[in-house]
Amino acid sequence: MPRPSLGLLQGTVDVLILRTLTWAPMHGYGVSRWINDRSDGALAVEDAALYQALHRLERKGLVSSEWGISEKNHRAKYYSLTPAGRRQLRAEVAELRQYMAVLFRVLDPA
Amino acid sequence: MPRTPGSRRAFRFPWLSTRQVVADVDAELAFHLARKAEEFAAAGLSADDARREAAQRFGDLEYTRRYCRDEDVRRERESRHMTIMQELEQDIVYALRSLRSAPGFALVALLTLALGIGANTAIFSVVRGVLLRPLPFPAAEQVVRVWHANRSANEARSQVSEPDFKEWLAASRRFASLSAYWYQPGGSGADLTGIGNPERIEGVYVTPGFFETLRAPAALGRTIRPEEAVIGNDRFVVLSDGFWRRRFGADPSVIGRALTMDGVPHTVLGVMAPGFNFPADRIDYWMPLSTIPADGIGRQRSSRFLDVIGRLAPGVTPVQAHDELAAVARRTAAQEPEAKDWTDVTIAPVREAVVGEVRRPLLVLLGAVAFVLLITCANIASLLLARATARQREIAVRSALGAGRGRILRQLLTESLVLALAGGALGVALAYLGVRALGAVGAAELPRASAIRIDAVVLLYALGVSTAAGLLFGLLPALRATSQNLQAMLRAGSRGSVGAGGQRLRSTLVVAEVALAVVLVVGAGLAAKSFARLLNVDPGFQPTNVLAVKLSIPSERYPDERYPAYYEALLTRIAAVPGVQAVGAAKNFPLRGVGEIAPKVVVPGKAGGAGDRELRLPLLHVSADYFRAMGIPLRAGRVFTAADKDDTPPVWVVNEALARRYFPGESAVGKTLRVGQSSIQIVGVVGDIRQRTLTEPAEPTLYIHYLQNRRSGLSLAVRTTGDPLRYANAVRRAIWEVDRDQTITSVETMSAIVGGTVARPRLLATLLVLFGVMGLLLGALGIYGVLAFAVSQRRQEIGVRVALGATPRSVLALVVGQGMTLALAGVVVGVVGALALTRVLAAVLYEVRATDPATFVMVVAVLLGAAFVASWLPARRALRIDPVQALRYD
Repeated sequence: MPRPSLGLLQGTVDVLILRTLTWAPMHGYGVSRWINDRSDGALAVEDAALYQALHRLERKGLVSSEWGISEKNHRAKYYSLTPAGRRQLRAEVAELRQYMAVLFRVLDPA
Repeated sequence: MPRTPGSRRAFRFPWLSTRQVVADVDAELAFHLARKAEEFAAAGLSADDARREAAQRFGDLEYTRRYCRDEDVRRERESRHMTIMQELEQDIVYALRSLRSAPGFALVALLTLALGIGANTAIFSVVRGVLLRPLPFPAAEQVVRVWHANRSANEARSQVSEPDFKEWLAASRRFASLSAYWYQPGGSGADLTGIGNPERIEGVYVTPGFFETLRAPAALGRTIRPEEAVIGNDRFVVLSDGFWRRRFGADPSVIGRALTMDGVPHTVLGVMAPGFNFPADRIDYWMPLSTIPADGIGRQRSSRFLDVIGRLAPGVTPVQAHDELAAVARRTAAQEPEAKDWTDVTIAPVREAVVGEVRRPLLVLLGAVAFVLLITCANIASLLLARATARQREIAVRSALGAGRGRILRQLLTESLVLALAGGALGVALAYLGVRALGAVGAAELPRASAIRIDAVVLLYALGVSTAAGLLFGLLPALRATSQNLQAMLRAGSRGSVGAGGQRLRSTLVVAEVALAVVLVVGAGLAAKSFARLLNVDPGFQPTNVLAVKLSIPSERYPDERYPAYYEALLTRIAAVPGVQAVGAAKNFPLRGVGEIAPKVVVPGKAGGAGDRELRLPLLHVSADYFRAMGIPLRAGRVFTAADKDDTPPVWVVNEALARRYFPGESAVGKTLRVGQSSIQIVGVVGDIRQRTLTEPAEPTLYIHYLQNRRSGLSLAVRTTGDPLRYANAVRRAIWEVDRDQTITSVETMSAIVGGTVARPRLLATLLVLFGVMGLLLGALGIYGVLAFAVSQRRQEIGVRVALGATPRSVLALVVGQGMTLALAGVVVGVVGALALTRVLAAVLYEVRATDPATFVMVVAVLLGAAFVASWLPARRALRIDPVQALRYD
């Protein structure tokens, strides 16, 4: 049974995708599976949002794509991280971390 | 896992079509939905349910599909754009690097291009200024010039008398406006006094319709009204913008003021717009024609002094307008004895009338510079072909690495265009200097010279010419370089071997270059020869050491009774200046007008011969010493002396042409010619001089003593010891000692007057020779380039020949022979072309035929000589080839 999933903060989908692609080039389905598995289903990225993000990221030059053959011999589109994407990921993670730190400093009782 | 995606994207080519993008997005989403459905099917759902579940979980599928497509299409477009820009940048960087690596080639190409494009730009700017720029009044295409024509005397473009003009004006229905003016450079003008220094200013005397015909309103004030152009109420003047600024500092309060011109006050009515300069560039004022007294210029039918312009009525063609006025002329000719044979008119667009004479020389020059540029292009194309041979391996390697033919072609063409545009930029700088120089030289010689400048249109032309040149010389070598067989080239070993085809192409280019050079040099040779003939014309007088001073003596200051004394005092006083040998006076200097026409001179018939003949003959009023001062020889009888006074019976001196024609085989001295009621005796015959132009032989001419028929204009010829200009100030002082208010119109030398009449042929000859020399040098450079390259390519072969015992002589013969063969082929083609093309020069040549054999022979000799030198140098290099080394360096 799928557990109720956490709502995702605005813009976090992009970071998640970029982070996922640091492991290996993946197709969209692979990315969705990977995020789902890693968060034990807690971070559910909607498929529509995922694909929109992938194409948006590609246009920005943060990921690049290539058609390849999947494990089960299907033709699939593989995404990989570009050097620009890697830089972007580092920057966004740092920013997010700082944001979270500030957020928790406010939320946590002293 | 697929093989690692990496740099492959950089090589993706060609780009994706929109249809491909759509298919990709659909396939990608289908793949995802299929995997999801498999997941659900594995969890136990039926196939249909699993598919439905997958689609439902996906979210907004259609929106996502559209979103992804849009993103991808946009990405493709952006990357395509970026790639082109990047490649262009790469190409330019690459081109610059490759030009830097061949500085010799780049320098030669750049300089020759700069010269070629510069010359083209400069000449085009002149053509544009003089021939193409609109005239300074609206709808100029409706404005025509009208001349009186006498077909039987072969005079198609004569000026018009006032009675004739008035009849035309009264009868014309096909003209919206018809008007006349009198303007004579250096002749029509007035003495301006009363404000600052007295000054001679140039003006045009117009009928009141003049400004209406041209549709030129005044910029300030107004122009002349009909009621302000009648005798008694015509002392009005309209100023030119230039004169207004120069003399009045653009002061608008000048309107309504009175200016003293020739001693009479004239009210300023208006100032014209800055660009308005009809009929010539340097006009100071316009004034009613009626201000010229009838005893100044006669108003009888024989006094043809007016230029007539008309604006055609809407829808009327020049032919219809011609027919209308020609009918009037025919009618008058039938009724008036003075207008006999003047049965026709000639009508031409006013632009042709303004620039007609210089049109052909300018177009000839434009053609000549185009030839220079073509030779330049052939030359550079030839150099590029040689370079392409040397770069075959580089190109082969690039295409082996995946660059397509189009890509390499583009890169090679970029190199050519970079070269051409750089050359063009340099050329524009040269053209700027050239136009300034031309402006200085040609200002007096070209109509509308003030309109010549380098403007946006000229710059655009230079850009277009540069681009065309770049494509012209770049395309052929680039196509050839990229069509080579890649495999063969890579196999060909370490040395780039020359393709026989490449060498053949270069030889063809050289032949073309030589042929073009022949045409150019023939043109230059003809113009130069014609100019030399012109310089060698014997004018019949001795212009050296003669100071030419022009005065005007207003009849208001010196009425008839005081005139002779003043006149004599002037001549005597100037003659007394130390170093002055003789002083003579005439109405017009030679080459500055023909004096006036005596309308009815009767040559008495001989007993038993033809009856009396009535003639129109040029008449010059001269002083006693005029012939001595001008160095015109006396052939028979006597010249005028101090004994010829205004109260003694008038006598003629005539020229040889008159004596020969009307008194053949007998002495003219002692014969009489009748004018009106008086019979006047011929007392002397003098040598013929070129009075009208340098190119026209003398016509029968009458001379009469000045005092016996006074005129207001006075040209003084002062023969001096040594350089006449050294005496200019002394002569001026002498004049002012007699009358300190006498205005002096001009002081120059007679040599300068003669020189001035050949200034335009000189300009044409100079420029054509300049372009001819450029063509010759470029042609020689072309031959040299091809041979030098051929020698370096054939090192081995020549080495073997030398090793096998070939004599230096035979090696020289081999190389020089190749060069001369090319040159000969070019010369043959060129001579044929020149015979066809130099015909356009015929109209501007003087006593030289366009097919002048001597010129052709000389040009062929010069070109073959240049070709020989250009072949000799590489041949010498071939001699120095050491067979051992040449063979070892295989």
